[in-house]
Amino acid sequence: MSDLKPISALGAAAPRLLTLGTLTLRENPGLGLASLALRRGGTAPSPFGLTLPDPGGWAASGAYAAFWTGPDQWMIEAEGRGEEDFAAALKAEAPGCSITEQTDGWVAFEITSVAGGAPLSRLMEKLVNVDAAGFGPGHATRTGLEHMSVFLIRRAEDRLAIIGMRTLAGSLWHAIETAAGRLVAV
Amino acid sequence: MLIPHPLLGPRDAQEFTYLGDAMMIDRPDGLAEGAEAAFCDYVFQRDNPAGLHRELWFHEQGDRSWLVVTRNTVTHEILGAELARDVALARRATDTPADQGDAQ
Amino acid sequence: MTRLSGGLIDRDRKLSFTFDGQVYYGHAGDTLASALLANDVRLVGRSFKYHRPRGIFSAGSEEPNALVELRSGARQEPNTRATVAELFDGLEARSQNRMGPLNRDLLAVNDLMSPFFAAGFYYKTFMWPRAFWEKLYEPAIRKAAGLGSLSMQADPDHYDKGFLHCDLLVIGGGAAGLAAALTAARAGAQVVLADEDSRLGGRLLAETLQLDDAPATEWIAALEAEFASLPNLRVMRRTTVFGVYDHGVYGAVERVADHLTTPGAGVRQTLWRITAKRAVLAAGATERHIPFANNDRPGIMLAGALRAYANRWAVCPARRVAIFTNNDDGHRTARDLIAKGVEVAGVIDSRKGVHPQGSYPLFDGAVVSDSRGRLGLTRIEITRDGDSQWIDCGALGVAGGWNPNVHLTAHHRGRPIWDPEALAFVPGADGPAGLIAAGAAAGRGELAAALADGATRAAQALADLGLAARLPDLPRAEASPAGQAAFWHVPGKKRAWVDMQNDVTVKDIVLAHKENMRPVEHLKRWTTLGMATDQGKTANVSALAVMAELTGQSIPATGTTIFRPPYTPVALSVLGGGDTGRHFRPHRLTPTHHWAEARGAVFTEVGQWMRAQYFPQAGETHWRQSVDREVLAVRVGVGLCDVTTLGKVDVQGADAAAFLDRLYANTISTLKVGRVRYGLMLREDGFAYDDGTVARMAEDHFVVTTTTANAGLVYRQMEFARQCLWPDLDVQLISTTDAWAQIAVAGPQSRALLERVVDTADLSNAGFPFMACAELSICNGLRARLFRISFSGELAYEVAVPARYGHALMQRLMELGEDLGATPYGTEALGVLRIEKGHAAGNELNGHSTAAMLGLGRMVSAKKDAIGALMSRREGLAADRRRLVGLVPETRSGKVTAGAHLFTDGAEQTMETDQGWITSAAYSPHVGSMIGLGFLENGDAREGEILIAANPLEGESQRLRVVSPHFVDPEGGRLRV
Repeated sequence: MSDLKPISALGAAAPRLLTLGTLTLRENPGLGLASLALRRGGTAPSPFGLTLPDPGGWAASGAYAAFWTGPDQWMIEAEGRGEEDFAAALKAEAPGCSITEQTDGWVAFEITSVAGGAPLSRLMEKLVNVDAAGFGPGHATRTGLEHMSVFLIRRAEDRLAIIGMRTLAGSLWHAIETAAGRLVAV
Repeated sequence: MLIPHPLLGPRDAQEFTYLGDAMMIDRPDGLAEGAEAAFCDYVFQRDNPAGLHRELWFHEQGDRSWLVVTRNTVTHEILGAELARDVALARRATDTPADQGDAQ
Repeated sequence: MTRLSGGLIDRDRKLSFTFDGQVYYGHAGDTLASALLANDVRLVGRSFKYHRPRGIFSAGSEEPNALVELRSGARQEPNTRATVAELFDGLEARSQNRMGPLNRDLLAVNDLMSPFFAAGFYYKTFMWPRAFWEKLYEPAIRKAAGLGSLSMQADPDHYDKGFLHCDLLVIGGGAAGLAAALTAARAGAQVVLADEDSRLGGRLLAETLQLDDAPATEWIAALEAEFASLPNLRVMRRTTVFGVYDHGVYGAVERVADHLTTPGAGVRQTLWRITAKRAVLAAGATERHIPFANNDRPGIMLAGALRAYANRWAVCPARRVAIFTNNDDGHRTARDLIAKGVEVAGVIDSRKGVHPQGSYPLFDGAVVSDSRGRLGLTRIEITRDGDSQWIDCGALGVAGGWNPNVHLTAHHRGRPIWDPEALAFVPGADGPAGLIAAGAAAGRGELAAALADGATRAAQALADLGLAARLPDLPRAEASPAGQAAFWHVPGKKRAWVDMQNDVTVKDIVLAHKENMRPVEHLKRWTTLGMATDQGKTANVSALAVMAELTGQSIPATGTTIFRPPYTPVALSVLGGGDTGRHFRPHRLTPTHHWAEARGAVFTEVGQWMRAQYFPQAGETHWRQSVDREVLAVRVGVGLCDVTTLGKVDVQGADAAAFLDRLYANTISTLKVGRVRYGLMLREDGFAYDDGTVARMAEDHFVVTTTTANAGLVYRQMEFARQCLWPDLDVQLISTTDAWAQIAVAGPQSRALLERVVDTADLSNAGFPFMACAELSICNGLRARLFRISFSGELAYEVAVPARYGHALMQRLMELGEDLGATPYGTEALGVLRIEKGHAAGNELNGHSTAAMLGLGRMVSAKKDAIGALMSRREGLAADRRRLVGLVPETRSGKVTAGAHLFTDGAEQTMETDQGWITSAAYSPHVGSMIGLGFLENGDAREGEILIAANPLEGESQRLRVVSPHFVDPEGGRLRV
């Protein structure tokens, strides 16, 4: 293992964690990410046993998950493998596909509610133009958030992930923190 | 405005950037005979119809698909949207200009 | 004035407020207007043009007169309508548009000069003498014009925005809206009910009409309880839907904290973007008045408003009032007022043969023909069959009929249509798709009809969506007859106001007619009718009727007005939405940002990026000292610069090389694995677009870079090429800009430094030559990419690691390179280095330059088809003989100014003799003087010539010598050692 010490996307040694009312925001540096694109005419593989989801979908299997990012293209998630060369591992699972390392292209903020889905819906309506009512568990989409491009993943009724560009981590955290804080202030 | 994305359903137009006439799919062959005249038309000549218009939109804040959207420029009614890639491939197969495809 | 009985105010909660400094008291539930009336304040402002005394005219958002300044300090807000400002304890309000005290406004002299202020006076009066406009007229008009004043301080409050989605949006929470929301919510649809008022009920709150033989408030209370139990219904009070946009998108403003002293930790207002599959417009109706002579005195108001103040707020502007009406509804006002103990001195009904509906004197077939009272109404003149009499009254309610609030149906240029039965414009069939009007907004304002219509329209809207809705059992409604006769204004010689807010009188319309400003659009602009904050809500239809009378045409033939968003005024602050200041827009931070910040770097914004501009050291007092030091460090030792901001795109696929051949003007497919090539992109019109490097990691895998500024645009262009132009190629793209921290290691000592971090790789010139690239490991096993490329002209590399390690790598390189002179450099030094080397950047790649101009003409391959290649050879572009040159001052201390234009020495300086311009300039520590790059006619053949650089903006003229654009190492030997 290298002797260089990584920092979090928000620029600290440890990931940031914040609870605001019923919501907890957590920076997740452990999430390994790699993109998988089919070669022309290729068939979808099942890396790590995953069934690659249809447009707008997210599917998980154990520590792995996949979400649709575009026609014939997915992002594969590997929990706890943010420090590794996850793209290389995926390449072995999906021969003949175009794989690109994406882990540090992004920052993942995992948002958990202790009061069910309602607070997440309230948060979403202040952040993104996506209908929370039609965005139940298993949905993933890319959209704009305060002029930033983000992926939203509804991991469970009470869990939402917002994955944004890593270099925008500070601005994205500010946006989410402000919106979540205002839900508490109301 | 809402754009009816063929894969993702209606999405707000704020997620898209606009390019223009779908005829831009029909890029001339740069090595063919008479290519310069064809390129002058391709680069500079655009129709500006009051009514149905097939045009290119890029889902930049989304799945990065280019779409061919059929829109009424007078009413802003959108009659349909297709993946530009499908339009381009079909164009190659049938030689139908991209700005004259079927509106859904 | 004491309060009347009843009302919906909370008499247990007393609130104090001030108006023009005087302390008054009101109750919770009051508006500022009702509280002022309860304190006998009738005079609340001065009119716009004539500074006539004005009072409260309405009881809603249509108010033309009672515009006040609220709050003080930074929160001072002009032009707010007293009729919709909820009273809170400590509210400060001030009248506006006055000079001196409100009751002795010095500008009231304007009223005496009214003949000069007739319609079109701006266009007529200030034309002559011409020189007076700027010096006299405009400053004087600016001082006198306008209404309230701004605080000139930053708004201290926060504003928010949000997005809602629903099956049905119900706009308005009156009878029709409540029935619509109930119907749709019970059917299980996702429903949003928005109302501009602080409580639901709409006009029901202002009426005594009973539902199921009980006050309507009981039915509303029961509904609100049911609404609270329905999770699929969202009730938004204090929320105005102000605009309809395409495809069911609605704009709304929620006044979250306008009714509080300060918003505290919350937001003041929220801008909502509501995407609704269907909408029911239940916005009600607005009463119109009947212009007569001197009808603008405080105390004269809409009859429905008089009734609303009595019923909802338990106030009446006077003990003794009169009603002027052309319809049955005016009589209801009289009855309601009598029931509250107010004396009704008379109902003046323009209709002949009507009967009184209560115990009040009725003047049928009569009109109000004049009024008196300097600062408030004292008497009215009643004229019947040519006989006139004066009666005393302190208030007059004017009932001219009701105009459906069709505004939103007209936002897509839908034209309301004239309903001769209702004597009003009702929504046309060409309104926004998915928006259905109901109740009074559709001309069906009678209570029972409104309730039924709301329910029916909601069910109809849901049926469109495939949702079945059962019509609810609606309460039995007391009848509210609405018979009326067309009667638009009282003819006479004196001024009769049509538009209170803009001081437009019947005379002005007559004048406009005479001057042929007859189309309604001309009428509006000639007279200013219907402009400003109220947009003529109480004036437009009456004005049309007057114009129709003058032209002898029908009202619909005369025209309709076009309504545009917003329905009521929307503050710019909430449209701005969200963050101001530092967080106004997102900032991208490079992986070494925090490291640079800790070193005291000065940052510059480059698009969204925050980039280190230079790194000042102790003792350096001017940025040039830091930049010169950084530049020299690269030239003699080794410099480090975070270049992560360059766009990076991963290109894979069997046809990746063929694809890049079509994207770049030069050939890429011949590039060997493990090598990098400079790539030049053209626009399809042949001009240079962007440049970068193309690294071949494998046969079917490339990593290409773009300039920082064009990263997003180039990626878009690449996707366009992939999906639209060559969809049959096997290519996959994805951006990796953020994934890798990329650090430029530049300078003669760069190899020595990198050898200290790479684990095993051979970095010798033979092992890793110029333009080599490799995936390797550094610092004991960290995966990295190394590119031997140079922007500075020195031996140089770029090393990339996963972004989370960028910070640590920069630290490590600095530590290990201390003895080699390792120095961080910023964008300023980067710029100087590239100018010294003659590398084109944004200043040169500005969309007006060709490959040939950049000295890269030979890169454009004629053997293949690539974007822009053919058009770059077209006549106009190929004939361009301007070429990139270097420029130095004739004398060492001379100046080189970017943007200056170049002329032949001794030549006249005109557009025709222009020889080119300077694109980039910097002080070069290497040359020891300022240097520049520029485009010059036949520049490649003019080395040594002295030119004149003219900068007329600064009155500068410099003598410059043409030199090679490569100030450093023109043979490129340093790159290859």
